[in-house]
Amino acid sequence: MQSPKIISPTPAATATVDPERWVEEHGDYLYRYALLRVRRPEIAEDMVQETFFAAVRTSGSFRGKSSGRTWLCSILKNKICDHFRKLGRETSFTDLEFLDDELSHKFVPQGFWNHEHGPFEWKPEAEVVMHRAEFWETFRNCLSKLPQRVAHVFMLREMEGMETEQICRDLNISPNNLWVMLHRARMALRECLEMNWFKDPQQESG
Amino acid sequence: MSGEYNPSPEGNPSLLARRNRFQTALVKFIGRHTPKCREVVRILSQSMDSKLSLTMRIKLRLHYLICAWYQRYEKQLHELRKFASSVPDHVDDFSADTLSPAARERLKEALREERRE
Repeated sequence: MQSPKIISPTPAATATVDPERWVEEHGDYLYRYALLRVRRPEIAEDMVQETFFAAVRTSGSFRGKSSGRTWLCSILKNKICDHFRKLGRETSFTDLEFLDDELSHKFVPQGFWNHEHGPFEWKPEAEVVMHRAEFWETFRNCLSKLPQRVAHVFMLREMEGMETEQICRDLNISPNNLWVMLHRARMALRECLEMNWFKDPQQESG
Repeated sequence: MSGEYNPSPEGNPSLLARRNRFQTALVKFIGRHTPKCREVVRILSQSMDSKLSLTMRIKLRLHYLICAWYQRYEKQLHELRKFASSVPDHVDDFSADTLSPAARERLKEALREERRE
């Protein structure tokens, strides 16, 4: 599990376009990525398949552009966006109700922090923590507690770095709705990481 | 806590605490005239996505003077972003899930088909 995670351009994959090799080299990575985003294995599998199809269809434009994985991943991200866009049309948008008390117990009625519930100092530093495989498990668990679409919005913004205007256009939501969702997602994740990692002495062992 | 809440308790690491009457008056004044913490966390989140107005930035700087938690919360929002943006490099730590052999074969078969067309 400790192999370097840096996406290396694979010369073989860029020189010759061999879809079966893509499946071997990147299939699991793409599947895991998709699983994190769409949660259900069968949908993740579909996403991966569609990604490879699209890749085969356009492989002429691919050669030498970027590393195989980066390129495949960018196709996958688009497929995931399509998926959520379709979902958005089919169901009503209720995720704004998520965390609608905004953890109000953390604040006294006057609106200041309740000093017993102020943010806990995160130690060790982010750089150190990120080298721990267990941390990422915790992070994943925290992400999976968000309603799916809130998680989608959060990951579009913070993981894939999409501009807020584009997210609003894409999902057809108002900037205000987006801000509310991002705020609540950040609050919930911050809280979850604090409870399950930074305040948890277990992280010291191992 | 009589009537007015003390945003700056004993041992408060923020710059302005209630060390003397002058500071106390200042803390109260700033507490009254800047957004409350509950609002500040919302604004801080928004500042991760868009540039705040100059007035708001000044208000936040003032709030920072009296609030022990402001800086920590802001730092953690940035750390959260750092974690999230590093996820693609740690996907393999997230899970050991793999495409099932059947799915893998289906996929290859479908790709062979696709190419033949």
